[in-house]
Amino acid sequence: MNLASIAIKNTRRNIFRTVLTVVGVAVAMLAFLLLRTVLSAWLVGAEYAAKDRIATRHKVTFVMWLPKHYAEDVKQIPGVGAVTYMNWFGAHLPGKESQFFANLATDPKTFLDVYDEISLPADQKQNWLEDRRGAIVGAVLARQFGWKVGDKVTLEGSIYPGMWEFNIDGIYSATRKSIDQSSFYFNWEYMNELAPGPAKEKIGWISSKVPNPSEAGRVSKAIDKLFDPRDIQTLSMSERAMNTSFLGMMSTLLTAMQIVSLVILLIMMLILGNTIAMGVRERTHEYGVLRAIGFLPKHLTAFVLGEATVLGLAGGLLGLALGVPLINQGVGRFMEENFTGFFPYFRVADKDAIISVVLSIVLALIAAAVPAYQVSRLNVINALRKVG
Amino acid sequence: MSALIKLEKVGKTYFRGKEPIEVLKDLDLEMPEGAFEALMGPSGSGKSTLLNLIAGLDSVTSGTISVSGVNLGAMSEGQRAHWRSQNVGFIFQTYNLLPVLTAAENVELPLLLAPLSSAERKTRSLTALRAVGLEERGHHRPDQLSGGQQQRVAIARAIVTDPKIIVADEPTGDLDRVSANQILELLVKMNKELKKTIVMVTHDPAAAERASIVRHLDKGQLT
Repeated sequence: MNLASIAIKNTRRNIFRTVLTVVGVAVAMLAFLLLRTVLSAWLVGAEYAAKDRIATRHKVTFVMWLPKHYAEDVKQIPGVGAVTYMNWFGAHLPGKESQFFANLATDPKTFLDVYDEISLPADQKQNWLEDRRGAIVGAVLARQFGWKVGDKVTLEGSIYPGMWEFNIDGIYSATRKSIDQSSFYFNWEYMNELAPGPAKEKIGWISSKVPNPSEAGRVSKAIDKLFDPRDIQTLSMSERAMNTSFLGMMSTLLTAMQIVSLVILLIMMLILGNTIAMGVRERTHEYGVLRAIGFLPKHLTAFVLGEATVLGLAGGLLGLALGVPLINQGVGRFMEENFTGFFPYFRVADKDAIISVVLSIVLALIAAAVPAYQVSRLNVINALRKVG
Repeated sequence: MSALIKLEKVGKTYFRGKEPIEVLKDLDLEMPEGAFEALMGPSGSGKSTLLNLIAGLDSVTSGTISVSGVNLGAMSEGQRAHWRSQNVGFIFQTYNLLPVLTAAENVELPLLLAPLSSAERKTRSLTALRAVGLEERGHHRPDQLSGGQQQRVAIARAIVTDPKIIVADEPTGDLDRVSANQILELLVKMNKELKKTIVMVTHDPAAAERASIVRHLDKGQLT
């Protein structure tokens, strides 16, 4: 027996209350974990972005195009390896506007050099390189729509109006998380051929491989400097910065979700604080007895904080035990299959799991701080006189 | 016998708001080592206050109180707590066992403050439980014991640190006559066999009869 085991046993005094408190904390932590996972899933593209790639876009905004020949110019800059380019196509399955997925036009040959984490069987790769109407789709997207290699798919364009027919030449997977498996890439030449006049020979952005990531800053500046004297200037940044700036457009929503997370934590603290304060009030006489037989205020403080730690830890672990399967096997699968463009990878991150358990303990300790202080200030005689 | 507990001109005043309430007045008292003393008196006479002072739970307003030559008034709160853990065993009217601990764990509780190994603590707890005749009930929780048995566990807890003094505040107040007699016999045994100095507050004349010295308090003074 020691102080810690007594603190654990103290939580068994009123099992019903303890269970309700632990479940309350667990539900709060589950909600917190879900929101954190939404945020993490949203940011995953930025977090896992390759460090050795630079994105170059129009200096003013994403939605303005660059001349295609800029890609060739970028390739001449020292420190730049493979270079590819892309356009946001913005199409959808006919009559299914709500089923969003990213579809992009690119140069197959250079695309696979720059995005070397894409894993594509050799025969499928060869087909795509030779097929003007060819497309490759991520494994998650293919599973979602039941697409197989050899299928013909029609997309309805919005930025590039019309009905566009594609051949599914390959289904890719990814060896790293820096590219999602829910996108649709097709041959830029096909798009350019049928694009309206102003959109011809125009690209959305350039993606360059920088073999030495430590040179990324210098190379970015060199690219932008190259185009400074021209009519259309560029803005180059790491892939991570580009993804983050894209997410910046969602900042209000992300901030709102973070505020909701904080409110949930506050509610959790109030639940815990109330339980601990009730326990302390009911045990005033007992604390008086402990003080009488020689226990010091610091020991009583340790009892209260120890009990709070047990409750917080139990609630946090229960929240995790419920949350991980619920999110990874339930909500996560649903999100990945139905909102793949926004949430290509919707799983509880290890970091979020650890944060939720640590927070449940830290917040429990904060909630117990006032009752612990009050216990440490107890007058022995008054405490012994207190009944019940 | 030499005086173990010595009170000189002890006064204790409480305040109810700004109004002073003098509970003990210029009390001079010597309690010899190995004595079994009973303190009697009407409610409000100051006997519990006197017990608290002797046990080092409270500090005097005036005068000095010393135990084994140690002036309790000169000690800080923390020093008095440490002194209590080594020198005083407590027996309360309502037993005051921790309900979540077994009888053996309740007895072991004061030993957590001593530099002892877990094995030593367990051995001493078992010895104390044996002294009160409850070695077979060590694994029972308080709610599985009768009132008399709970008070015997409380006595085991009071003696487990081998204190010089045992203070008992109405130790038979919540017990039936049979159980009360068993507890009083146990206290007598602790006094005679283990040479513990016992100071007991009681309203019960039958309990007081077991003491070697009976003192009466009224309005804060010995009568």
